[in-house]
Amino acid sequence: MNPTLFPWMIAVPLGVSPLVYLAGRLGSHKMELNGRSIFVRGLALLALLVTWALFVLSWMEFTARNEKLLFNLESIWLNADGLSFLLAAMVLGLGTFVVLFSGPYIAGEVGEEKYYAMLLAIVGIMIGLGCANDLFNLWMWFEAMAVSSYLLVAFYRERSASLEAGMKYLVQSATGSVLVLLGIALVLGNAGTLDMDKIRAMVSSESAAPFGLLLAGALFVIGFGVKVAFVPLHTWLPDAHSQAPSGISAMLSGVVIEAGLVAMLRALSTLGGFSISWGTLLLAFGALNMFFGNLMALRQTQVKRMLAYSSLSHIGYILIGLGIALFNGNPAGAQGAAFHLFNHMVMKGLAFLAAGAFLFALLDKSGIHRPLEVKDLAGGARKYPLAALALSIALLALGGLPPLAGFMSKWQIFVAGFQGSNAWLMGLVIFAALNSVLSLAYYAPLVNMLYRRNMGEVVERGAPIPLAMNIPLVVFALAIVVIGLWPSLMNWLTEPAAQAFLVMFGK
Amino acid sequence: MAGILIGLVIGLPWLGALVLWQTRDENPRLQHTLAVAFSIAAGVASLALIPFASAETAISIPMGHYFGELTFTADGLAVALTAIACVIGSLAVIFSVDYMQGEEQLSRYYAFVLLFIGAMAGLVLSGNLLFMFFFWEITALCSYALISFYNDDPKAVAGGIKALIITQVGGVGLLAGALTTYAVLGSYQVSDLLAKAETMPAGLLTLIAFGFLIAAAAKSAQFPFHTWLPDAMEAPTPISALIHAATMVNAGVYLLARFYPAFQHVAGWTLAVTIVGLVSALITAFMALTATDLKRALAYSTVSQLGYMVYAIGVGGVFASQFHLLSHAVFKALLFLSAGAVIHSAGTRDMRRMGALGKQMPFVRNVFILGALALAGLPILNGFWSKELILEAGLSEGPLWAYVGMLLGAGMTAFYTLRMTWIVFFGEARESLHVHDAGKAMKVSLGLLALGTLTTWLLAGPFGEMLDETLPFHSIHNLNLSELANEIFTAPATYVALAMVALGLAIFWLFRKQATAKSEAWMDILSRESFGFDWLNGQVAERTVQFASVLQKTQTGVLSWNVVGILGALLAVLIFLVWSA
Amino acid sequence: MTLNSLNVVLFGVILLLAVGFYGLLITRNLIKIVLVLQVLVKAVVIALVLAGKQSGNLGLGQSIAATVIVADTVVAVVALALAVQVRRHTGTLDLSKISTLRG
Repeated sequence: MNPTLFPWMIAVPLGVSPLVYLAGRLGSHKMELNGRSIFVRGLALLALLVTWALFVLSWMEFTARNEKLLFNLESIWLNADGLSFLLAAMVLGLGTFVVLFSGPYIAGEVGEEKYYAMLLAIVGIMIGLGCANDLFNLWMWFEAMAVSSYLLVAFYRERSASLEAGMKYLVQSATGSVLVLLGIALVLGNAGTLDMDKIRAMVSSESAAPFGLLLAGALFVIGFGVKVAFVPLHTWLPDAHSQAPSGISAMLSGVVIEAGLVAMLRALSTLGGFSISWGTLLLAFGALNMFFGNLMALRQTQVKRMLAYSSLSHIGYILIGLGIALFNGNPAGAQGAAFHLFNHMVMKGLAFLAAGAFLFALLDKSGIHRPLEVKDLAGGARKYPLAALALSIALLALGGLPPLAGFMSKWQIFVAGFQGSNAWLMGLVIFAALNSVLSLAYYAPLVNMLYRRNMGEVVERGAPIPLAMNIPLVVFALAIVVIGLWPSLMNWLTEPAAQAFLVMFGK
Repeated sequence: MAGILIGLVIGLPWLGALVLWQTRDENPRLQHTLAVAFSIAAGVASLALIPFASAETAISIPMGHYFGELTFTADGLAVALTAIACVIGSLAVIFSVDYMQGEEQLSRYYAFVLLFIGAMAGLVLSGNLLFMFFFWEITALCSYALISFYNDDPKAVAGGIKALIITQVGGVGLLAGALTTYAVLGSYQVSDLLAKAETMPAGLLTLIAFGFLIAAAAKSAQFPFHTWLPDAMEAPTPISALIHAATMVNAGVYLLARFYPAFQHVAGWTLAVTIVGLVSALITAFMALTATDLKRALAYSTVSQLGYMVYAIGVGGVFASQFHLLSHAVFKALLFLSAGAVIHSAGTRDMRRMGALGKQMPFVRNVFILGALALAGLPILNGFWSKELILEAGLSEGPLWAYVGMLLGAGMTAFYTLRMTWIVFFGEARESLHVHDAGKAMKVSLGLLALGTLTTWLLAGPFGEMLDETLPFHSIHNLNLSELANEIFTAPATYVALAMVALGLAIFWLFRKQATAKSEAWMDILSRESFGFDWLNGQVAERTVQFASVLQKTQTGVLSWNVVGILGALLAVLIFLVWSA
Repeated sequence: MTLNSLNVVLFGVILLLAVGFYGLLITRNLIKIVLVLQVLVKAVVIALVLAGKQSGNLGLGQSIAATVIVADTVVAVVALALAVQVRRHTGTLDLSKISTLRG
């Protein structure tokens, strides 16, 4: 066994996280508030940059060895395959810019150091989650991710809506996690092991699935499904995503629910050997999520709540891609899903960050604590051309318009649906495409609102958006356009992820 | 060389869009100048491309697995439409210098116009279905952005979103067709589809053919998607002229013409195309009879003329349809822009408030009349030649009832064209509007378009020859000018059609009092709701929203219900797993 | 099904789960909700030990159970901390009374 670097991607953010907290705490007496804030942020950013370097090194190792990387600490095994790297890249990409963005956003709030400590921790935890190779280990990462996200959602401790959202999120998530544990108990009872590879080997040698393992499968789907926001388990999501600080909304929507999805796929893949059509299940949830999310978003008047519902529908597209891949073993579906996972991170991340920038400049700075309404944005482009353009790009990309990223990844998923000429799948793809059109009915009016000539009162009173917030907006908007024009740019990441996914399910 | 020119034709306007987006309202001169410069440069490049027309693929860039090769082919069909888009595009931009004088947010306006011009060129030059769809959707995006350019006006926003949604719904047809092609042939190449259509499974080919028809109907505002174009008239008038008369709406006709050889043997396809064209031509001509809004009247007439082109493809007259497309692009742009000059100076689009404007704006009156005569199909203007060619193809190849319908349409066209001209420029002044003749930049565009209206029919010979030479899969009925004149003037169909036109004009003249006064109630009702289709659109939108508000009740915010959701779903999944295992 | 000791424990697990889920459905007081969640987790802890025993891997089951107890304490602490904040800022512990987010 050669020594490998990838566990340091997990260890560095996790290890620096308490240091960030301590630095914020200890320094509070000696340094000015502002100086402390910069120090805390700088330390967090530095940790993430180091993690980036580690990511690049482990990636080189991964491509050089051309097989998944393994690491063990006593009896705990971690492995890094294509899916792990996809998740790591997403988490790091979004995490870095959220830290940058949050500087002015969180500055001066009570518990600023906790915010960065938790943010850093959740980055490490999610990278770890992607590498787990044992059901219980997976659950531990999953639970750790959940706990840190509860704290981040309920960050505004003095606002009752934020507390309400946090509490609901906690209870539903904890219920889900109990279900996952029950599933693990059933697997342990039936298979006698929790190592995923061993379970897989055992399952493939069995002919019929025992009821216990079927029940475990259902428990995994629902238990992790709460976190992934499968309809009808999604009820916590619109509350939590809209009430959290905007940087956290971006993290929750862009990577946390996706990490939940990765966890679910890992767990389900152990049972992939049974002749159960997991593909049909994912397709059904995909269609439901897509349709439901779009219709719910249609009537929203609050920007962040609308974006939260739109996450439901995008999870739907991803599920359809994965479902197609499982249904007919077509790698195009898995790769399209991986591509859409990545793009959704960029698009929804940008949408939440841009909405956050508006929320910050229009309301927070004036000391108004209420949700940002669509009508508040009237004429936003006149005063904030950059943020308005970024938000418009994000929204139109989410709606699937070219030349933006969302178009290409949806296309790739659709390609998979048509290959094989299965009438049901073709119908489903057409349904998905019509859903994209439907989604424009709520994205487009927001863009129109931004580009009004007459500024609304709220915009007129608005404060400027600081540079640290604008940088992430520019980077993400550029990424959306570049990926939209050059879709194969992300193949290096999505291809191994799709391959890992298919190998996992034994296709 | 062709490759470089293609790059310029798409790249220059897009570069211009990027540059224009950076400009600020403080310096409108710079904005106008830059926009004119970039659009003229694109126009020149597009004209320079014409001699290089060939069926060969000019550019080919591999885009990676699942995305095929990005190829551009400058064949006759493509270069002709590129030239139309870029040249009329630059004329519309020149016109805008006067029209948009003093407006704010010009950077957004010009950026989207230029983005549109590049995308339209890309759409017709693309030899790859995925990228054809890609550019197709970008033109829809630009159209939406420009229709709702006046974002403060709720009608403009509604019109823009309606146009976007309807064309996108149609776009799903193109998407399905492109995906099916890729699934069956493993390639998105247009040439592959044309070459291998015969070998494809019949069911899938039918899916592609009708998918493309739906996309084309939505894009060209044909029945039953004709409702969006009239509402798109909230756009600034140069946009109506460029996007909603001369170029983007032609994309549907282009699509049908491009793939006609692949689909002509699909059962029922040509008949469906014929019917779509016929119905669109008739119902919108009917709506134009009583229209009171100058731009809406022109929009109805656009749909009606596009109906002629679609009909022509249905009866196999690909050349006739493309020839009419060229004529129509020129004379309809002329009509729209001169209407724009009227609206700009009168400050209203309502024809009931105009009248006798001709004396105060003689230049605009003259060019408008020229355009109107071409639209009505009077010799020897360009509209006459192409429309006769279509009717002739219809008589010889298509069903008789469809031909009779189209003849009726020609009479109605003559009627509403004369009515429109009369109400605006002649008769009595209904209100004392203080109007002035067109500005300098406006006159340049109008003059050039008027010249085109008089002369583009002379291109029939070379145009047909170019199509014939560079479209290996089409059989083009290609005539030189004297053959064309000979064919048209010896055919009895021509005289029948001219008689119909004369009849339409005569009826208007005899009943001009009634036709310009308040119209019949039943005609109004039919027209206002676009024969019930606007009502249908409204119902679909309303039901969706209603359904959404019912669903909203499921988000109760009560934790207990949320837990019920979790447990219920658990049960459902368990049942599914047990059943499926 | 014979009445051996494993089945008795299994029955206990199911009973606890039923109580827990029923409680989750009817409870509104935040502190009680935390208690109910604890009941659910304890049921799972027993289930894990049982699964270890049944598969002849009792050590694994027990160690997992112990870890779950620790991890779950963290969740309970966070939940109670939130409940304290709710009480402090709204004066009530009844979730349905502070509920404003819907639709």
